[in-house]
Amino acid sequence: MLSTILLFREALYGALVIGIACSVLGAYVVLRRIVFVGAALAQLSSAGIALALFLGGLGIGGEFTHHPVVMALVVTLAGALFFGAGGGARASVPPDAAIGVTYAVAAAAGILLIAKAKTGEAHDIFLQGNILGITRSDTLVLLAVCLPVLVVHALFYKEFLFVSFDRETARTLGYKVNRWNLFLYLTLGLVISYSMQYAGVMLVFNYLVIPPVTGLLLARSMRGIFTIAVASAVVASVAGFALSIPFDLPSGPAIIAASGALALVAAGAARLRTN
Amino acid sequence: MSALVSFHAASLGYGSRTVLSNVSFEVPEGDFLGVVGPNGAGKTTILRSILGTLAPRAGTVSVRPGLRFGYVPQRGAVDAVYPLKVIDVVMMGRYDRIGLGRRPGPGDRALSIEALEHVGISHLAEQQFASLSGGQKQRSLIARALVGKPDMLVLDEPTEGMDLMATTQILGLVRELHASDRLTVLMVSHALNEVANYVNRIALVHQGGFQIGAVDDVMSEPVLSAMYGIPVDVERFDGHRIVVARPGATHRARGTTANA
Repeated sequence: MLSTILLFREALYGALVIGIACSVLGAYVVLRRIVFVGAALAQLSSAGIALALFLGGLGIGGEFTHHPVVMALVVTLAGALFFGAGGGARASVPPDAAIGVTYAVAAAAGILLIAKAKTGEAHDIFLQGNILGITRSDTLVLLAVCLPVLVVHALFYKEFLFVSFDRETARTLGYKVNRWNLFLYLTLGLVISYSMQYAGVMLVFNYLVIPPVTGLLLARSMRGIFTIAVASAVVASVAGFALSIPFDLPSGPAIIAASGALALVAAGAARLRTN
Repeated sequence: MSALVSFHAASLGYGSRTVLSNVSFEVPEGDFLGVVGPNGAGKTTILRSILGTLAPRAGTVSVRPGLRFGYVPQRGAVDAVYPLKVIDVVMMGRYDRIGLGRRPGPGDRALSIEALEHVGISHLAEQQFASLSGGQKQRSLIARALVGKPDMLVLDEPTEGMDLMATTQILGLVRELHASDRLTVLMVSHALNEVANYVNRIALVHQGGFQIGAVDDVMSEPVLSAMYGIPVDVERFDGHRIVVARPGATHRARGTTANA
């Protein structure tokens, strides 16, 4: 089994980079109760890719608008700015409704654009991704994006925690809460838009939510949440690869199933601890 | 005594909605002021104007330069899902002094333990914040406000959702901090009967109206009846004031009285 995994080690390395980065940022996503912002941003990213393919097929625009990575980044960061700035709160739209509208419209737009794109692939690719197709250079690109984001999060941990935990008091102590929120959302958008290229909506959403939930179930400190989230993302990725290749299963759903199993074990352990 | 906060003909509100108009008052050093009124009357609006998170629509709200607030939010504003120890929550009160990108050090920890001792719960420092009772959580949040060495303690509904014993203990603690530390205190609450027996002055906020004065002046039947628009009685029991609406009283427009 090890030799099979090693055969796809480049893909595994890429999945681990995505898993680690998303699970660290996902801790804030879960604690701030904005899990569907993660889903909406991932969906926006896929719509961005679809838009690039659509425009490229028609020959509209230039190299910039035909590049899936660039368009995914532009559309996702626009979404991050929108949610970071309150996500329609000024128009009296409840935040969860704004997230729902964004998710639905982005998903539909992605499918419609792909359906009419001359160079497009099946839209399933957006849901499932193509994690096995990750190459060494893809992993290096992912590292170049995710590593600085993780360093920023380590550096400004105190600030991100404070504005997430108690924004009113943070504001009273002089923190520019809206700017910090925006910064947090932008880092989230950056990681999601790059991860989406390889992992697809489902797997990115999984890494953002399930490992941090596993961490939340077991940890008794913020450091514990991050550690357990990262550990469970790594274990689920390795287990997903180990199961998917010999049994000829799609890797993304296999990783998600492994993440879910770990979360269930964590829920059981948490229940035993409280009894 | 010099004023720490001054409102001068201030109009306060959100978006196109004005909540309070032409409000003028001062909070002098050493004051213990209760801002009282029903939900939605504008208490938090006043509080946010004082804290500088809401600019007045007209008039001025000025704060003495360099004034440091110790803010105690409503317990509901603090999310208990975060796996934080009490000491971690209290140390947040030092974050602005620690500086950007730096972590709290042993000195910050020592000051936080000291603040917890001050509010009587240093033994809970290593407990999970989420596992505390309502009263203990409130004490933790007061400790967090104190650890920043504030000039003025500002509390938003500190007894919301608490039972009688916890309410009495928290209000007693705040009064003690005011007396022993000579701390200026502003406390927002919807519970007139609770606040009136602890503060020195009361600001009543109700349906756009605003009235401020010493407790004895404000806690009078004519003032309260006019403010709330229903006839009320102010009873005294064992040195405490209790405001009760007269049986059968119906609401009238502010400034009028109704027959019982």
